[in-house]
Amino acid sequence: MPQSTPKAAVLLEAAVKYLETELMPTLDGYHRFQTRVTVNVLNAVRRELELRGAQAEAERSRLAAILGHEGDVETLSIELAERIRAGAIAIDDPALRAHVRQSLADALAINNPKWLTR
Amino acid sequence: MSSEDFASRLQAAIARHVERPGTIHDLQRLTGGANKTTWSFDADVAGTRGQFILQLASPRADDEANPLAGVSPHLTADEDARLMIAAVKAGVPAPHVRAILKPDDALGPGYVTERVAGETLATRILRDGRFAQARAAMAKQCGAILAAIHRIPVAEVPFLMKLTPAQHVAAQRRIVEYLGFHSPALELGLKWAEDHAPRNARHTVVHGDFRAGNFIVGEDGIRCVLDWEIGQSGDPMQDLGWVCVKTWRFGGKQPVGGFGTREDLFAAYEKESGHSVDPAHVRFWEAYGSVRWAIGCLSMGTRGTEEVGIERCAIGRRVEEPLWDFLNLIEGRD
Repeated sequence: MPQSTPKAAVLLEAAVKYLETELMPTLDGYHRFQTRVTVNVLNAVRRELELRGAQAEAERSRLAAILGHEGDVETLSIELAERIRAGAIAIDDPALRAHVRQSLADALAINNPKWLTR
Repeated sequence: MSSEDFASRLQAAIARHVERPGTIHDLQRLTGGANKTTWSFDADVAGTRGQFILQLASPRADDEANPLAGVSPHLTADEDARLMIAAVKAGVPAPHVRAILKPDDALGPGYVTERVAGETLATRILRDGRFAQARAAMAKQCGAILAAIHRIPVAEVPFLMKLTPAQHVAAQRRIVEYLGFHSPALELGLKWAEDHAPRNARHTVVHGDFRAGNFIVGEDGIRCVLDWEIGQSGDPMQDLGWVCVKTWRFGGKQPVGGFGTREDLFAAYEKESGHSVDPAHVRFWEAYGSVRWAIGCLSMGTRGTEEVGIERCAIGRRVEEPLWDFLNLIEGRD
């Protein structure tokens, strides 16, 4: 199926621009706050569409290297979580620490990039 | 209940528990949280006009069908009020309770306290020039206030949930299990907390949510400590660590609430309590505090979204912030 246009990222940008530059200045109190939160959520969705594909592939490779077998990213991640919980992998294992650090940095790059530089 | 009914029931309650006539003025709803609703009002009592706060527990707050009820501390409105009464008696600047509502009041469970003037918004306290002197004094005040909280006799508040550090971590583990969340980062945090939970800690009353945002602050510093509803008994160092958790610095640079130094906090605590503070012990609670807050974000953000709205959904996306802070802290990168 050919991709519809404008692309999702462009639609989200247009929605955010309307909310921020036209709607927000007319609001105060509860609705201004809720609109601010809505803008933040839409921006996170836009960044997720842009970044998550490449992140997930790299995450899958790291997980496969740590666990020693292939699989999809969600299944491998649950397996790693179970291994940590069971004490089957040391929590100071350098490969584990590097993986967790990168995964958190990836998620923050989507959800709240400012947190990475605080 | 109509707003007229509500105001007249409140007036009757004030007349009964505080003073006659109890005529209500300026009744305003301040916040409506998941667990309680807060109202501000004035009332005519014995020839003067008093300023009050009303807290009403939401009907679902003490829901016995909640599968996590009893897993982690949560006080009923009555217990919350009784803990604040014990705190005031021990010299803590806590809200002065004037009435604990009874079934006859027909308002539901709740209580009335005297209203304290001041600012609670942490970002304003951290940035506004008029709080400069307050900020300089607040870390020492936190130390002295915590020493007073930890002096409250546990026997006066026997309803508090007792949790050793290991039991505290185990309760958070149960919440994560219930939520069915499998994240390597969160599991790393929980496992680290299980491995490092202090043994042989003292056992005292613990506020449980002692942090910027729960203080009423004036130009003179902290006037009142709010939000006692997750009060518990356990390791007192929990409170010293929680006030340092990075989330509660609200972007401020200083480790204690964004406004002060650990040295000031610990020195004042040692002076007022007579107990020495081991910074490494407090650091456990600061690091584990970030894990605990990640679990808080998770449980707020994953309750039915149609019921909670956009704000709660957005909180679910904040799980990684405290986990990132946790990892930096245990790796010495904070």
